[in-house]
Amino acid sequence: MTTGYHPLVKRLLDGELSLAELPPELRAEGEEALHLVGVADRTPVALSPALEERVMAAVRHHAASRDPVSPGNRAWRWLNTPRDVELRLRVRPWTVWAGALAAAAALALLLGRPAPQPMPGPQARGSTRDSVLVRFVLYAPGAHRVAVAGTFNQWDRGAAPLVPAGRSGVWTTTLALPVGQHQYAFVVDGARWVVDPGAPAVDDGFGRRNSVVAVTAHGAQL
Amino acid sequence: MRTIGLAATLVLGATLAGGLAAQDVQARLDGRVSPEVQRAVQGIAADAAAHGLPVDPLVQKAIEGAAKGVPGDRVIAAVRALAGRLGQAMAAVREAGVTAPEGDVVEGGADALNAGFSGRQVTDLVRVSQPPHDPALTLRVAATLSALGVPTTQALQLVQGMISAGRSPSDLLGLPGQVQAGVARGATPAQAAAGLARAAGGAPPGRLPDWVPPGQRKPRNPHKP
Repeated sequence: MTTGYHPLVKRLLDGELSLAELPPELRAEGEEALHLVGVADRTPVALSPALEERVMAAVRHHAASRDPVSPGNRAWRWLNTPRDVELRLRVRPWTVWAGALAAAAALALLLGRPAPQPMPGPQARGSTRDSVLVRFVLYAPGAHRVAVAGTFNQWDRGAAPLVPAGRSGVWTTTLALPVGQHQYAFVVDGARWVVDPGAPAVDDGFGRRNSVVAVTAHGAQL
Repeated sequence: MRTIGLAATLVLGATLAGGLAAQDVQARLDGRVSPEVQRAVQGIAADAAAHGLPVDPLVQKAIEGAAKGVPGDRVIAAVRALAGRLGQAMAAVREAGVTAPEGDVVEGGADALNAGFSGRQVTDLVRVSQPPHDPALTLRVAATLSALGVPTTQALQLVQGMISAGRSPSDLLGLPGQVQAGVARGATPAQAAAGLARAAGGAPPGRLPDWVPPGQRKPRNPHKP
């Protein structure tokens, strides 16, 4: 049994090509396809009137069951049905021009407004506004509290606490940081500032170091 | 008469803006630093704002110092030093042809100066940061490379090479991490940076070996007629 005809044979069946136009090696396949199509019973099928009546009755019943004509539905249909409404206005030309000018002025004011200034607060140390989830991990066995503070949270020691992973001494948290470069440090037990041993560190201006994380659109890179 | 009116409007505008900036600084420092530090930083910030310098890094530095429990006089000294660097950075960025630099770029320049770059090198870094590269990001990456121990001249060359080779800002941001990985494998920061600079000359990931940055002419293929 043929499972699929050559594209040229399909074009033959569609009437786009004649058998003579097929390449010689495809003619046998084309003849077979034409033969199969030829033996198909092409006698028109006539449906009995009773069947049509039954089908239409079923359709009407289905439509009625989906759309019960409640008073609310009737009101909605009345409100929603399109109607021709003729509106006649008698206006003086100067009122039309005044309205148009007022609308144009309002539009100009709207478009001419300066862009809102960024609110003071944590800012990305890069330039784009996309945020990326960054996971901070510190191994601090014996610590009772660990948090991460940095340029992204105004160095707030309580803003981003880390959670201990069981009793392993590993503390973690995940923060959404804007793309760019951020400085940070871990705060152990609310007082001890610890740099991230896995990240580059820069001078903080106070004789200590800040860790640096570079957040790209593809993730964080230490 | 019209000129006098315009000048008066500008002076009034600047005064109002300065007043608003001072109020903003006060509000942000309230309860976060000691009154002594607050007064000093407000003065430094007002002076900086009058010279067109960004105020936010100064406020951030004061808050950082207070959060870390640094004594007030050292916080004030650090904020004053930062204001000085911001002024130098502003001059260096303007030297690169940016007449009205954004605060972020000036802050990046101050970071680079703090990391050991000269004003001239900051100018060069800004000049090479053509779109899509953000000068603020370029400066911060260079500063981080220097903090990792890469000599400033080499860090400058590496960053310049990456940008001229058509590498993306994300590639640039990944440089400090790559240098650190090289150091972890036993290389010195300079050696790690040199390796990255050599690699920067090749095609970026996902490009064919004969890829050239946009705007550059592809070498002629001798096999093509």
